[in-house]
Amino acid sequence: MNSLVQGELRVRLLTLCFRNLSRRKLRTLLCIIGVALATTFVIAVGATTMRYATVIKEMNVLFSGQVMVVSKDAIVIQAIPIGGGMLPQNSTVNKIKNITGLEKTVPILFVTPSIEVSGTLIPVPENFSMGVPVEDWRSIFGSTPLKGNVGHFPINESSNEAVIGPSLADQYRWSVGTKILINGYELEVVGILDTKLALLNRCVVMSLKLAQEIYNYRGSVNIITAKPVQGTTQKNLADAIENQISYVNALTEDERNDMIQPILVQVETWNLGLQTVVFAMSLILVMTVTLMSVSERRRDFATLDAIGASVSYVFRVVIVESTLIGVLGGVLGIFFGSLLALVLASLYTNISLAQFFPSIFEIVPPLYLIEIFAAIVSVSCIGGVVPALNAMRMRIAEVLRAEY
Amino acid sequence: MRMKTTDLTRIYRLGPSEITAVNKVNLEITEAMFMAIVGPSGSGKSTLLHLIGLNDYPTFGKICIDDADVSLLSSSEHRKIRLLRMGFVFQTFNLLPTLSALENVELPMALAGKSSKEQTEKALRLLEAVGLSNRLVHRPKELSMGEMQRVAIARALANDPEMIIADEPTGELDSKTAKEIIALLFEINRKKKAIVVVATHDEKIVDVADRIYLIEDGGLRLQS
Repeated sequence: MNSLVQGELRVRLLTLCFRNLSRRKLRTLLCIIGVALATTFVIAVGATTMRYATVIKEMNVLFSGQVMVVSKDAIVIQAIPIGGGMLPQNSTVNKIKNITGLEKTVPILFVTPSIEVSGTLIPVPENFSMGVPVEDWRSIFGSTPLKGNVGHFPINESSNEAVIGPSLADQYRWSVGTKILINGYELEVVGILDTKLALLNRCVVMSLKLAQEIYNYRGSVNIITAKPVQGTTQKNLADAIENQISYVNALTEDERNDMIQPILVQVETWNLGLQTVVFAMSLILVMTVTLMSVSERRRDFATLDAIGASVSYVFRVVIVESTLIGVLGGVLGIFFGSLLALVLASLYTNISLAQFFPSIFEIVPPLYLIEIFAAIVSVSCIGGVVPALNAMRMRIAEVLRAEY
Repeated sequence: MRMKTTDLTRIYRLGPSEITAVNKVNLEITEAMFMAIVGPSGSGKSTLLHLIGLNDYPTFGKICIDDADVSLLSSSEHRKIRLLRMGFVFQTFNLLPTLSALENVELPMALAGKSSKEQTEKALRLLEAVGLSNRLVHRPKELSMGEMQRVAIARALANDPEMIIADEPTGELDSKTAKEIIALLFEINRKKKAIVVVATHDEKIVDVADRIYLIEDGGLRLQS
C-alpha cells in the first residue's frame, strides 16, 4: 500500500472515529469534561506549586556566594526572615567585621508590612520592603537595571526615596516621580527595577535608615550578609561567626538550600501523588466509557471483521477514539487550567488578572503544559487498550448468534 | 473460484452439552453458481455460511478453495480472503451507521488499499447500479430497509468478489423489495459470474437458484 493511500486511510479512520464519538454526544461530552477537569486540576495545582517553589529558590539568587546571618529566634525561608528575631545592627556588624576571612558585610532590614496607597490599606504578604545602606546597593542588587534606564537609586540615607518592583508599579500605576505613602511617610518613587525575580517584583527598596524609621526598627536589622574573602569558604566563615556570636545563625548557601529542600521535595511528592491519582481516575473514566462504547457497537466491529478489516485496523479505531477524548479534554484542560492558575496567582497576590496575562507563560511554563498534555493523551490512549483488545476479538458468527 | 467442503462439522459446546450445528457437510461450489440453502430456523444455515465464508473455524473437516485447504489458515489469512475474494450480505444489513452509503461502499476498497479516487469512482458506479445514485450521502438511518440492503450488496461487490454469501438477505424486507433484491443478486450472478450462496426461507429465491440444498439438524442434502 503506498503512502498516499495509507494517508487517506488515516484521514478516513479519523473521520470515522469522530463520527463514532458523536453517536453518543452527551456521554462523550461528559467524558471529555471529566478529562478536562482532571487536566485543569493538575495544571492549576502543578503550576501554583511550581511557582511557589521557583519563588523560594529565587530567594537565594540575590545572596548567592554569601553567608546570611540571622537571629536564632527568626523564622526563615531561605534565610529571608518572615517573622521574629531582630539583631542589634551596630554591635552585630562590628563583631562580624572583626572575624577573619570576611570581605564585606551588609546589614539589611527586610519587612513584610502593609503599604497604604491612597488611603487603602493593602495587607501583607503581597508586598514587602527592604532597607539597604545606599552605599551597598550594588553589592545586593548587582547589575539589576532600572526600567527604561529612567531614574536613579536613592542617593543618601536620609532621602525619602524608594525604588519599587515592576509588579507593584504596574498594579498601582506608579511611575518615577509618584509619591507613595508608607506608615505616614511620603516617599518619592525614583526608579522601577527591571527584574523578573518574584522577590524584587513586589518590593519597595529604600535606604536602611529610612526603613528603620518608617517601620520603627531603629538600630535593628534582621539580615546581615557576610561575603568571604577569596580562599575562605562560606562554611568556615559561617562557623567562625556562629562561634563568636552566640545569638545568630550563620547560613551558607548550601545550608539555606538544604533547609528548603525537604519542603520542596515534599511539595513535589504531593504534587506527583495528586497527579497520579487524577490521571488514574482519568484512565478509569476513559476505559469505562470506551468499554461501554465498544460493547454497544459489537455488531459494527464484527462487521468490520467479516468484511476483512485487519485486527490492527479495529484496534486503531478504538485507540484513536479514546485518544481523541484525551486530546479534546487535554486542550480544554490546558485552557482552563492555565486560567485557573492565573486566578490562583491573582488571588494569592491580589494582583489583577489582567496584569498576569502578559506573563502567563511564567506561571504556566509551555514545557509543563506540553508534559501534562502528553501525559493526559497517553493516559487516554492507554485507557483504550483493553476496549480495543475486546473489539478485536469480536466475530460476526458469535455476535449474530448472541443476538438471536 | 471453486470451493469444496469435506465432512465439514461445527460443534458448539454449551456447558456440559454439545450441539452439532453443522454435521459432516460435503459440498462443492463451482463458478457462477447461484445456490440456495434452505431449512427451518436453527437448522444450521447461518453456521454453514459462516464456515463457508471463513468467518468461523470448523470443529472437524476441511474447506478447500481452488484445491488449497484454507480451513487451517490463520485468521488474518482468512480476513484477506474475505476482503479480496468474498462479499457478505446480512439479514440485518450490518452497515456502519456513522458512514454514508457511499462511504460504506468505499470502506472495503479502502481496507484493500485502493486509492481514494478509485474507491469513489467504483462506489459511485456500484451505487448507481443498485439504483441509489440519489442516496449517496445518506446515512443508514436515513435509508429504507430495501435501500440499506442495496447498499450492503454494493458494499459486498466493492472488491469484485468471486463469491457472495448472503444470509437471509430478504428476511427483513417486504415482498416487493425482496423481489428487487433477488433480481439484483441474480443479475450479479449472471453478469459478473460471481458465485452467490444464499441461506433463505424465501421461496422466490429458491425459484431462481441453480441448485437448492436443504439443511436439517446440521446435515445437508441436495434438494434439486
